[in-house]
Amino acid sequence: MFDVVDKVLGLAAARGARDVEAYAERGVSRRIKVYQGEVEQLVAAQRRGVGVRVFHDGAVGYASTSDVTDDGLAHVVERAVANAAAADADPYRVLPGTVAPPADVHPYDPRLAGATDERRIELALSVEAAALAADPRVRTVEDTVYVDGDGEVFLANSAGVRGSYRAGQCYAFAYVLAEQDGKVETGVSYTVGRALEDLDGPACGAEAATRACRLLGARPCSSMKATVILDPFVAAAFFGVLSSALTAEAVQKGRSLFAGREGQEVADPRVTLVDDGTHPDGLDSAPFDGEGTPCRRTALVGDGVLHGFLHDTYTARKAGVESTGNAQRGGYQGPPSVHPSNLIVEGAATPADDLVAGVDRGVLVTDAVGVHSGANPISGEFSVGISGVLIEKGRLTTPVREVTLAGDIIGMLKGIRALGDDARWVPGGSVFTPSVLIEGMSVGGS
Amino acid sequence: VSLDAFDLALAQATIARALARGGDFAEVFVEDRDGLTLRLEDGRLEHVAGGRERGAGVRLLSGEHTYYAYTDVLDEASLGAAADAVAVALRGGASATPVTELGAARREPGRHPVAMPPDQVEVARKAALVHAADDEARGAGAEVAQVIAGYADARQDVLIANSLGEVVRDTRTRTRLSVQVVARRGGVIQTGHETVGASSGFEAMVEADVLAAARAAAGKAIVMLDARPAPMGTMPVVLANGFGGTLFHEACGHGLEADAVAKGASVYAGMMGEVVAAPIVGAFDDGNVPNGWGSQAFDDEGVPTQKTQLIADGKLTGYLYDRLRARQLGAAPTGNGRRQTFRHVPLPRMTTTYIAPGPATPDEVIAATPRGFYAKSLAGGQVEPASGAFVFGVAEGYLIEDGRVTTPLRGATLVGSGIQVLKDIDMIAGDYDEKSGICGKDGQGVPVGTGQATLRISAMTVGGTG
Repeated sequence: MFDVVDKVLGLAAARGARDVEAYAERGVSRRIKVYQGEVEQLVAAQRRGVGVRVFHDGAVGYASTSDVTDDGLAHVVERAVANAAAADADPYRVLPGTVAPPADVHPYDPRLAGATDERRIELALSVEAAALAADPRVRTVEDTVYVDGDGEVFLANSAGVRGSYRAGQCYAFAYVLAEQDGKVETGVSYTVGRALEDLDGPACGAEAATRACRLLGARPCSSMKATVILDPFVAAAFFGVLSSALTAEAVQKGRSLFAGREGQEVADPRVTLVDDGTHPDGLDSAPFDGEGTPCRRTALVGDGVLHGFLHDTYTARKAGVESTGNAQRGGYQGPPSVHPSNLIVEGAATPADDLVAGVDRGVLVTDAVGVHSGANPISGEFSVGISGVLIEKGRLTTPVREVTLAGDIIGMLKGIRALGDDARWVPGGSVFTPSVLIEGMSVGGS
Repeated sequence: VSLDAFDLALAQATIARALARGGDFAEVFVEDRDGLTLRLEDGRLEHVAGGRERGAGVRLLSGEHTYYAYTDVLDEASLGAAADAVAVALRGGASATPVTELGAARREPGRHPVAMPPDQVEVARKAALVHAADDEARGAGAEVAQVIAGYADARQDVLIANSLGEVVRDTRTRTRLSVQVVARRGGVIQTGHETVGASSGFEAMVEADVLAAARAAAGKAIVMLDARPAPMGTMPVVLANGFGGTLFHEACGHGLEADAVAKGASVYAGMMGEVVAAPIVGAFDDGNVPNGWGSQAFDDEGVPTQKTQLIADGKLTGYLYDRLRARQLGAAPTGNGRRQTFRHVPLPRMTTTYIAPGPATPDEVIAATPRGFYAKSLAGGQVEPASGAFVFGVAEGYLIEDGRVTTPLRGATLVGSGIQVLKDIDMIAGDYDEKSGICGKDGQGVPVGTGQATLRISAMTVGGTG
């Protein structure tokens, strides 16, 4: 689709717009849902569209369209120019001019294109079958879904930025309901890869079943100050919320709890937090970001100390630093903005079983609800509902639910005492994290 | 309107092609959407984005199976390819299912009238309104540190045609303004949020309402600066009108959506006619509230929207159906088959869902509560329909002492399960109000309204840090 982006730049130039960026994408995807051994839903999709950003004296206008005919392109350019005229100026908002070689990242595996619907269905069915077989208390697998996406992006601007890449990924997940004595508990698991061959359907299904079944019989526990172990799924949800406060956008707009804390200790020295848009396995890896800046690895927290924030061209210029290549696009429909790519939690690993063995009294948290609504990235305070299993004298005992976990994010980061050896990718924000053991948390129950 | 030119013969051909190898029902959903979003932060209108998307989704139902394909090119070749994709996916026999010829299109343009189509209002006028909201919020107090104001409008034209011969054309116009305020005093930061939204044109953006919302958002953030950490424990909870309705939406409404019911993944499955709430509780879903944010004349399967009683005198009386689940469960569709765009499969979804008002006054409810928690506005929440368990963040909460609202409390969450909470409702006031929101399910966001009067839950778990 370089023809489309080139036409946009030509049309914009003809209208007198000097600083223009065009982003086009096209792709295909499949989503297959199986239920009780049969295909419940199959969705085949093709998408295509273009987005145009016009910069005029510090004001930016954006417009997008799925209509890539000459008429459609003329209209979208006209609209972007008009929108720029309505926006307020900001001297730091300029056309990205980083003409740099892209990162050596290839987020595409050609095997993905070889997947057939038969193979996809087979994979999804293997997830559901494994979940149902894992435990007699599994009542049903409410959702078993396989998804893949294969797309290309084309980016060019009037300052000479020009690039294209192809990206693909696939994943499957299961949402299992288990029942005992009329009470239902739920469990979820994922398997993620760049090609269908990377996915382990049976392991995903079995894990989701285990996660649901081990909560059966759960009831509230008494309130306490205790050690908690967040399993990787729960840890990923917390790190996902926290990472939005590590963007320079949040800092510059006064909505980050990390503002003004660079160089300070914000976490236990055992913790290192990295954003890596070049990780070979990262779902959000790419050679360049949504405005053409090469993706890279950025240390956010090293040995507990806050090193810096994530930037796009605008926030970097305002802060007087370089963009970290974190201008992300959710599609051609909207302009890029600063977001984490792949967030990676690093540190010395302890065998996950040893984590539990070292806790006298606490909770292994396997599910948390309300992390996105119940955690405030500005104040850092959070209060969420959790389910999990009580730990007593180093052993997992009774399952618990309808319990809250409350505190503040920096207090939680400083309370981290160990990381497990069970690090994994969790989709939905692309976070790679192990289990995390934290001391001194408020657990609220009956 | 843009889709007027869309050829019904092409719709007819696409439906026939989708049924070429069998199947029970085929449908084509054609959409042309045009929207504008504005976003202001730091006093600057920094984001002005417009978008137009056209596309179509072709759906084939066979038994309980759904096959769906979509494309953003509206020509014969692309629609044909989408129809072929679903026909092949069915793996059916060689014989086609007969198709009823498409009749005259139904249309009800008068149901949610639009006086000022947004695309006929200059961007500059919308920008001025957003600036006015910003000014108003900043004027509310010296503690206001940041204001994020957003405006969005959209016009969505749809044409829905199916193998039953039904054709519906509908135009949905929505406008919405939101204000988020950050207040700071020393090291304490709090936020407040308010929205104004309707299925209307720009006439819904009455300046006085917008400014009142901006002041309310700022007031919420400022008052919470004095908040103490919320206590933990079980206590009576008074939910304020308006925002409180989101609790019913999350904790109960999702469990009444027929997909969860059909899979036995809802605590309300098999409970029709049973007691699921206190006898004073009546609840409805109404897709036809005039110009309501969650309203439209037809749902996204072309079924007229309606008012459905969900709970009467504490007993379960209704579920919310789309065509697929209505057929499966032997019920009539209720006009709740909704989708975000042509890229999405319709699902049973709520429209405007609410608990009906009662006889008390809000003051009586508070006065009757010696000690408890007053949740004035909720931050959002999550629920597991299977168990009915939910968690809600409280954006603005207060202690109730000796029948009076006293100290603001921060960091509170409400934890419980749907049926228990509804059974524990012991007072409902008459100050009914509705709020607008976007509800997410299976990766699809649709506009919904939530409504409620002030009510009391006799005992509920409050999770806090104090």
